[in-house]
Amino acid sequence: MKLKIGIYWGAACGGCDVAILDTHLKLLEIAAAVDIHLWPIATDFKYSDVRAMKDGFLDVVMFSGGVRNSENEEIARLLRRKAKTMIALGACAHLGGVPGLANMYTREDILRRAYLESESTVNERGILPQERSTVDGVELELPRVYDTVKTLEQVVPVEYSIPGCPPASMQIYSALGLVADDMLPKKGSIIGAGERALCDECIRKKSEKTITKIYRTHEKLPDAETCFLEQGFICLGPATRSGCGSRCIKSWAPCRGCYGPLDDVADQGLKMLSALASVIEPKDEQGINAVLDMVVDPVRTFHRFGLAASMLRRRKA
Amino acid sequence: MKRIAIDPITRLEGHGKITIFLNDDGAVDRAYLQIPELRGFEKFVEGLPVEEVPRVVTRICGV
Repeated sequence: MKLKIGIYWGAACGGCDVAILDTHLKLLEIAAAVDIHLWPIATDFKYSDVRAMKDGFLDVVMFSGGVRNSENEEIARLLRRKAKTMIALGACAHLGGVPGLANMYTREDILRRAYLESESTVNERGILPQERSTVDGVELELPRVYDTVKTLEQVVPVEYSIPGCPPASMQIYSALGLVADDMLPKKGSIIGAGERALCDECIRKKSEKTITKIYRTHEKLPDAETCFLEQGFICLGPATRSGCGSRCIKSWAPCRGCYGPLDDVADQGLKMLSALASVIEPKDEQGINAVLDMVVDPVRTFHRFGLAASMLRRRKA
Repeated sequence: MKRIAIDPITRLEGHGKITIFLNDDGAVDRAYLQIPELRGFEKFVEGLPVEEVPRVVTRICGV
């Protein structure tokens, strides 16, 4: 019997959906093996269709995007009830992703910047989005923007996560294969990714690292063969799960950590900081601090995709 | 007035809903398009090192 699946997005960009479409001809195999019952980017099912399903009707839901507002949470809870297996698809559902960087600010900071202060905004009456508003005698509703971006797992139980921003298309294809063949690992596992650090699969040459200075990309041209970190460019390879196919590295861009931490690592950013501190010369505290001070924007460098899932989680109010 | 909700609107990138109000004759009296999402890129790219901006704003829309 065909698997019944739903695909949904919360606070997302649609890149995970495109990664599914980017399986190209394999998409035909997927389409032959599953019946799609929700996929806003590609099909016309409504929330009312989902509400009408019996609980547990869907075999699998793949949910991309984090939980940023009350609609994201409502649909996450609804789909959780309808799904036998819930998969967090991509860095945002898995770790909060780039939109999780909003946790450096408050809800009010964000609303003010977007709707009142931005150079391209015309809002003479200073109106901010309202959860309920009456316009010409009719009532309209909008979701509430939350103060804190949450990962999917911080809102509903999640069986599996497929990491990446976006996940590599063939990794989604193989993860769906695990579902179709009833070969899923134990609940709570990461699927569609490697089990080693990205460094272990990196094509660049590594030797004993010693870092005395940290460079920004415009300050020095990296050579074509040597490990970025050894050359002084921050690269999150040591603290990041493999499985992406080294897409960024092959494009001459150091890793920013979208595949998230390895198993049993509580905080990817702190793991990276620890890895970095261990290769800095000189070894005394003052020397290490002097080099670390060269990192311009530590939170958005070490927690680029994982701030919402990290121990920091958000700026204190 | 009768109210028709198209929620979500589909086959596009992003979130949106349309609410239509019909008058007593069943004709459209008015219709509203609402965008129920905000992530806050406007705020959280402030102060980001300029060389990192392309790696962040590419996540505004992945389609």
